[in-house]
Amino acid sequence: MLEFDGLVKTYGENRVLEGVSFAVAPGQMFGFCGSNGAGKTTTMRIAMGLARADAGQVRWRGAPLDDAGRQRIGYMPEERGLYPKMKVADQLTYFARLHGATSADADRAVQEWTGRLGLADKRGERVEKLSLGNQQRVQLAAALVSGPEVLILDEPFSGLDPVGVDSLADALLERCRAGVPVVFSSHQLDLVERLCDAVGILARGRIVASGTVPELRQREGGRQLRVVVPDAGPGWAGAVPGVRVVSEQRGDTVLELDPATDDQAVLAAALRTGRVTHFARREPSLVELFREAVAA
Amino acid sequence: MSAAGQVRLVARREITTRVRDKGFIISSLVIVLLVVGVMIFQLVAGGRTSTTSIGVVGGNPSVETALQQAGEASGTAVTVTELPDEAAARQAVADGDVDGAVLDPTGDSPQLLVESSGSVDDVVRSAVGALSVGAQLAAQGVDLQPAPTVSVTELDPSDDDTGPAVVVALVGVVVLYGLLILFGQFVAQGVVEEKSSRVVELLLSTMKPWQLLAGKILGLGVLGLAQMVLIAVVGVTGALALGVVSVPGQLIGTVLVVIGWFLVGYAFYASVFAAAASLVSRQEDLGSVLTPTTLLLVVGFFISIQAGQDPGSGLATVTSFVPGLTPLVMPVRMAAGDVPLWQVLLAVAIMAAAIALVVRVGGRVYAGALLRTGGKTKLREALRAERA
Repeated sequence: MLEFDGLVKTYGENRVLEGVSFAVAPGQMFGFCGSNGAGKTTTMRIAMGLARADAGQVRWRGAPLDDAGRQRIGYMPEERGLYPKMKVADQLTYFARLHGATSADADRAVQEWTGRLGLADKRGERVEKLSLGNQQRVQLAAALVSGPEVLILDEPFSGLDPVGVDSLADALLERCRAGVPVVFSSHQLDLVERLCDAVGILARGRIVASGTVPELRQREGGRQLRVVVPDAGPGWAGAVPGVRVVSEQRGDTVLELDPATDDQAVLAAALRTGRVTHFARREPSLVELFREAVAA
Repeated sequence: MSAAGQVRLVARREITTRVRDKGFIISSLVIVLLVVGVMIFQLVAGGRTSTTSIGVVGGNPSVETALQQAGEASGTAVTVTELPDEAAARQAVADGDVDGAVLDPTGDSPQLLVESSGSVDDVVRSAVGALSVGAQLAAQGVDLQPAPTVSVTELDPSDDDTGPAVVVALVGVVVLYGLLILFGQFVAQGVVEEKSSRVVELLLSTMKPWQLLAGKILGLGVLGLAQMVLIAVVGVTGALALGVVSVPGQLIGTVLVVIGWFLVGYAFYASVFAAAASLVSRQEDLGSVLTPTTLLLVVGFFISIQAGQDPGSGLATVTSFVPGLTPLVMPVRMAAGDVPLWQVLLAVAIMAAAIALVVRVGGRVYAGALLRTGGKTKLREALRAERA
């Protein structure tokens, strides 16, 4: 279990984190969401020992993360950085060795990951000669070549084309299935929704919502209905008690129900207007959940 | 991976990256060539091994011996050329084949032909004088015995001729100065490269700032030492082969002293350069933060040149104890041979204390400034910054 426990961080007058806590189980993919400046990067940097928390700690397998523990984490910083004049393979070997891999293991891992990430023909090239997309792949390979027990990736998908996104997603899912807890931050919420087992939304220095996406739906906006009644006049649903109209367009209506309201009463009201072609619980997207969580 | 293992990896990367760099290889060759050039210059310009060639018309073997003895007395090796007549002598002097030509050296009115008066005059005059005295004494029937050899007893051996050692020390200091600047720059550029490329964040996620700093300084230090030793071997071999220096023991001793002071100087300057470089994020800004330290090096360099001329001067004595100036000034004073052991030890102790301080404060600045990218970090901010 990778545990973030009560992290507090203040920069001068600015309280960035006010007790951030969440946990990621082995084999779980955790999507870390939040507005710009919410403190995602700071949280990850505290885990990597690049910033010091005023309070709280990060634990891996029950023990606070120290230097030795961090060597077993694959990290991709938000500010990408590699040695521009070093060759791809040399550079990756160096990072693998800094994480404690033996020379032979490092060479093997470099071969494997450069192959899997489509860099096989770039091994002998200087990083500065590569396209930005390929540099990004090398950056990812740098996080993976040491065979880490944990992956912490800050915005790993930004700047990748769709093919790159797919190969990165495959690589992360594969690591995840191998039992590695993966934490990554992203603004691409559709991607988070598609990939992640669990999501944490950071706002105002705290995790304001966390859990699986279905859990979040239930908690946040599980009481929405979409009803399509082609023949109904505007405002047909307003008469039902405990119902609020979210949107209404030519009979295509989204309604939000108070917890006490019976959805069958809504169906009865809809049937009274004429034909009902669609009546279903509406699943809000992660984007909507995010907006609501951040705005609350 | 242990902390020391990581330091070793960092050091190894510094070395392998540099030795593959064309610029580094070229600069190394240039320095070696410079040393060889300095030795050749020394050989040509040095007065101790000057030669004079004198043409003789109507001479005999005793004339040649007399001229060579007179030359030896005035510090020049004389070669004698027999010339057939005055016309040939004039021609040889005009062509510059000989520095001067003597006509009829044993006669009543010997004559010296030269382009213009110079050191040849004295050599010829004393040779002719000696020949004449010898001839007159022989005519009087005096049987000349060879003069007794004077045996020399040194009462104060440190007063022996330290000129060559000082020259070696000066050449050594030139090399030391050049290498300190060069490797100090390497350290500084490496620090800024890691900062400007932001790779430093990835590095610091696996190790502490001090490990990165130590690895960098050690790696480049090993390389610097290797280069210093290479130059020393080329220099010593060359100096002995070319006969610039005649006392191998003194030469090697001085070279070892210079190498020792290089290590001390490197530890000091590399730490200062690294800390200064960590304050900026772009290579373009490097000049402004390195200038004060570079100036200290330049000042030390000029004082050491001055000390070469007057090793006992107050300036040289005082500055040989000033941290940062010591490694440049002390080797010259030591080569001149008038430094008591306690002074050397005191200077080493002061430098060691200064290095400890610089490593401590510099390491703090480095750690505090390393993750602050964009613009220039103020020294005070870096010292106050949190260190993870």
